[in-house]
Amino acid sequence: MPKEAYMAGCAATANGAKLARVEVITSYPIRPYTGIMMELSRMVAAGELDAEFVHGEGEHGQVSVTQGASAAGARAYTGSSGVGVAYGMEVYSPISGGRYPCQMAIADRAYDPPGDFGSEHTDVMSVNNQGWILGWAETPEESMDNCIIYYKIGEDPKVMLPQWQVQDGYFVSHIPNKVSIPDQAQVDEYLPPYNCPHALNPQNPTNHGPQIFPDQGPAIDLQRAQAFLNTPKVVEQAIADYNKAIGRNYSAWLEEYKTDGAEFVFFLMGAHCRTARFAVDHLRKKGAKVGMVKLRFVRPWPTAQVCEVLSKFKAVGVIESQTCYGGAMKGGELQHEVRASLYDSPKQPAVCSFMAGLGGEVISLEEFYNMAKILEKNAKQGKVDQYVYWVGFDNGI
Amino acid sequence: MADVFEITIWCRGVTQDMEGRHLSLVLANGAAKGGKFVQAWDNYADLPDRVQVPLRKYDRISDEEIEMRYLYENDHPQLVLVMDDTIIKGIDILRGMPKGGALVVNTKRSADEILSLIPNKDLLSSLTLVDATGIAGGTGLESVDFMGSEGGVEAVSVAVGLAAPLAGAASKVCDKFTLDNLVASAANKAGVKEGAKTAVVKTL
Repeated sequence: MPKEAYMAGCAATANGAKLARVEVITSYPIRPYTGIMMELSRMVAAGELDAEFVHGEGEHGQVSVTQGASAAGARAYTGSSGVGVAYGMEVYSPISGGRYPCQMAIADRAYDPPGDFGSEHTDVMSVNNQGWILGWAETPEESMDNCIIYYKIGEDPKVMLPQWQVQDGYFVSHIPNKVSIPDQAQVDEYLPPYNCPHALNPQNPTNHGPQIFPDQGPAIDLQRAQAFLNTPKVVEQAIADYNKAIGRNYSAWLEEYKTDGAEFVFFLMGAHCRTARFAVDHLRKKGAKVGMVKLRFVRPWPTAQVCEVLSKFKAVGVIESQTCYGGAMKGGELQHEVRASLYDSPKQPAVCSFMAGLGGEVISLEEFYNMAKILEKNAKQGKVDQYVYWVGFDNGI
Repeated sequence: MADVFEITIWCRGVTQDMEGRHLSLVLANGAAKGGKFVQAWDNYADLPDRVQVPLRKYDRISDEEIEMRYLYENDHPQLVLVMDDTIIKGIDILRGMPKGGALVVNTKRSADEILSLIPNKDLLSSLTLVDATGIAGGTGLESVDFMGSEGGVEAVSVAVGLAAPLAGAASKVCDKFTLDNLVASAANKAGVKEGAKTAVVKTL
């Protein structure tokens, strides 16, 4: 029987890793993801989870151990936050290049200037093109579920890619919520043990070389790109199967909330979707034709789905907790991806970007209402006045 | 959006971190048993790993779904509980409290002495004193455990020490939870009952 619990994202995610029967765990402490490792180490010490727990001397070593464990055929698990994600950077490409389907849990956190504990999407979005599957969770339960689903996707022989399983720091990682923990037997049936096709083995030596010749580079890169082309079908199947096995109702790529009859929508991912739902509820009662579209995967980016869904509306507000200083449209990366996805669409909504939640700022209901006013105007006039609004400031950029 | 009742708990870093967490948990669990929507959480920005720093834990209680769960702090606590009375001197423990709030203090001092340390005491409608340390036994500083912090899960039964009598005392001035539901939510049931029995409420 599933177990009903009340726990924060860190504890829920640790339960996801336990249900996935991870075999090698590597840690290095940094807030806010630390609670995941705290809980996993307790599980290992208490004999509830049969896994090797290795503590790295830093994130670079920690992620390297994960790579080695995955190469040896283990279901390997690691995690980090903020500048810790940055410190592990060198190892991300070798892991996806070697096609090691390990998983890294990230409770996102702002980069320094100066130090900030708060949630921000900057850490993950600054490494997002290293060949890892990547998506955000809105709740502790979704984070736990994504942990299991991502292994299913990543370990598929047609995919063989590592995964970043992300939750917003503090908002999801630290604030308890209701979690329905699935039965171990159900998860075992859904996610069988990892069967590594090329595990390191002294009896049958293979070379997972650290160095290649220049002419080998393009071929390896093409294979990684092709793996991403194979991924969408696997994602859709893995989520459909999980919904059926565990009794959930996840959309594969985009969740539409109250978009029937909507003329303009908030487009976002992660924790702030929760507040956006309440904002939509209140605004709808006042007659505003507003809805919300929640993004579940950043990599692979669902180009066709984003185009199809967002083309239905007159205006779109991309709410993003990450910015690209000096980049196109002066906004964050989500806006770039959204605009690129809509480029070939015959119906073009007016797209602007809202910088909100940077540094871990809470996005208030009032701020959602203010964003809705701008979107309503954009929907009416069919164009944007400016590409980016910094929420909480008067001066749009 | 329904009204949200806010509770702030003041305790000491590390030495009282667990009891502070447990007090916020037992109050939330007690209210939830009565059908309320609740939230119990740690202060994220207080650097709780520093020994003896003044530390805050929080509850939100409402008759409807709590919409703003992400706010880091309670800006307008209607009930404040203090686990170590030496925190009161020099710190505005009632910050943000609307007029008519309640204060519960673990102390052996007199009401007059406590009130003399609170410049904005006119905000209070009541002051409740309870010797939680005496009821819990020992110094009240023995229980150090961090498993329930930083998004983890409590490894120890909830409300074994100081939290129990303070929860019992709170039941005398707050109608968001009943004594029975607090007793049912705490490991130290006798402590909750004794706190309710011995707490002295001074109406102001």
